[in-house]
Amino acid sequence: MDPLRHDGAEVVLRHRVPVRLWHWISVLAIVGLLFTGFCILNVHPRLYWGEVGNAYTPALLALESSEPGGPRPTTHPAPAVLRFGNRQYDVTGRLGVVADAGGDGLYFLIANTPESWQFGAMRAWHFAIAWILVLGWIGYAIYLIASGEFRSRLLPQVSQLRPRAIANDVIKHLKLHRASGEEAKSYNLLQKLSYLVVIFVLLPLMILTGLTMSNAVTARFPELYSMFGGRESARTIHFLCAFALVLFAVIHLVQLFVAGFVNEMRSMITGRFAIRGSRIP
Amino acid sequence: MSEKITRRAVVTAASVAALGLAGGAALRGARIKDDFLKASEQLTLRAQRLVLGRRTLAREFSARDVSPVFPVNGTHVPPGAAYQELVASGFRDWALKVEGLVRHPLSLSLAQLALLESRTQTTMHCCDEGWNAVATWTGVPLARVLALAEPLTRAAYVVFHCLDRREDGKLYYESIDLFDANHPQTILAYRMNGRSLPVGNGAPLRLRVETQIGYKNAKYIDRIELVDRLDGLGNGRGGWWEDFDGAVWYAAQ
Repeated sequence: MDPLRHDGAEVVLRHRVPVRLWHWISVLAIVGLLFTGFCILNVHPRLYWGEVGNAYTPALLALESSEPGGPRPTTHPAPAVLRFGNRQYDVTGRLGVVADAGGDGLYFLIANTPESWQFGAMRAWHFAIAWILVLGWIGYAIYLIASGEFRSRLLPQVSQLRPRAIANDVIKHLKLHRASGEEAKSYNLLQKLSYLVVIFVLLPLMILTGLTMSNAVTARFPELYSMFGGRESARTIHFLCAFALVLFAVIHLVQLFVAGFVNEMRSMITGRFAIRGSRIP
Repeated sequence: MSEKITRRAVVTAASVAALGLAGGAALRGARIKDDFLKASEQLTLRAQRLVLGRRTLAREFSARDVSPVFPVNGTHVPPGAAYQELVASGFRDWALKVEGLVRHPLSLSLAQLALLESRTQTTMHCCDEGWNAVATWTGVPLARVLALAEPLTRAAYVVFHCLDRREDGKLYYESIDLFDANHPQTILAYRMNGRSLPVGNGAPLRLRVETQIGYKNAKYIDRIELVDRLDGLGNGRGGWWEDFDGAVWYAAQ
């Protein structure tokens, strides 16, 4: 990377075009998938473990109406409990609404969504956007390996894995330390690990558990069921991974400010990243 | 210096182009949205057909896996006196019509359907809402009925016209292509868990298309029509949920 003059500080090419392209495509896709995914969970806010799960089987986690005699659209706010194993919490007025779907009866939802957000259309969007995420991920994975960036930028170096180095890195994170000079030129250990987990664990899990919910796919690859312990387990893991991605995004954004918002954003848009604390005479 | 100007020019040009595209997209928004969703659905269909092959069976379960309670969803009882009369008479006066692009239009009573070869399968019904349940279904393979009717070479889709009128006043209908129609597990079921098909589950006859999601498994079937295209029916999207709710037609996802 050629050092370039930029307001006296050394400027490096931080992210190449394929990385920037993949990053922003994935941001848009993940936002779309989280939104449509929430709308899908909304109509059946119950998560199960194992093969089968429905209103008549026990749930791991469920938002339920606590109205005696079943939900009624006339009671406001809808009496609701969040059930987590044996524990239950009263969430009346905070979560849970009753929607009257005419001939289809009553639905107990997490939140009310406008009728124009058709449920079937939300599913259609979810699958369409999923293609973008999947194809983008395949392209990016190929790029990472082919360009050597997987080894040179994402895999932790041996020196980073020494106990002392690990402890140092954790302390720096806790102190919200802003990297400068040479250390700013490469990812730190926790950063590398979180990117590796997102790219090679969370996203593949999202894709595979999503495919496990397709009867046509599992007809050909029944191994998917055993891999995730059943269709409903796969659905639950799908939502847990979505939650983990949200968690990553929150931390990612916090770190953006810790590391310097303008500089980091510029590096992901134009590729140029100024190294703090360096001066080119 | 010259590099900076070039850069600025490129960025400006790109911004103007993006704005123009966005404006155009807003004008043709509905069209683009439909095209995008349709393209994705086609991509899913093509990719699955390519990878999954023709004769893969959806997983079947054993009798002890049958769900104690099978949730009834959608229509619980089709409205109207005509359906009540059919129920009262044990569907004696009901007959499945097979028509459209076929060489031999058929009319088959429940007794006649039961005389044809049957298939019994214990499978998982997966609702698009996210829940599922297991039941044993017995019925005649759709391929068998189609073989009797002999579809014309032009026929591409099998449409199921149903007895239940929805809240918008329209009759429920669904459709699948001949590939899924000829799948060995695609049956017209008249029995569930060893008993006559209950009203809540679609009596007298319902479709089981095990590679697709719940709403494709049309209940209360009255008439089967073979067509070469779907845009002449309903709102042209191939099914009631597709027309009414934007649901995907190819619902193996």
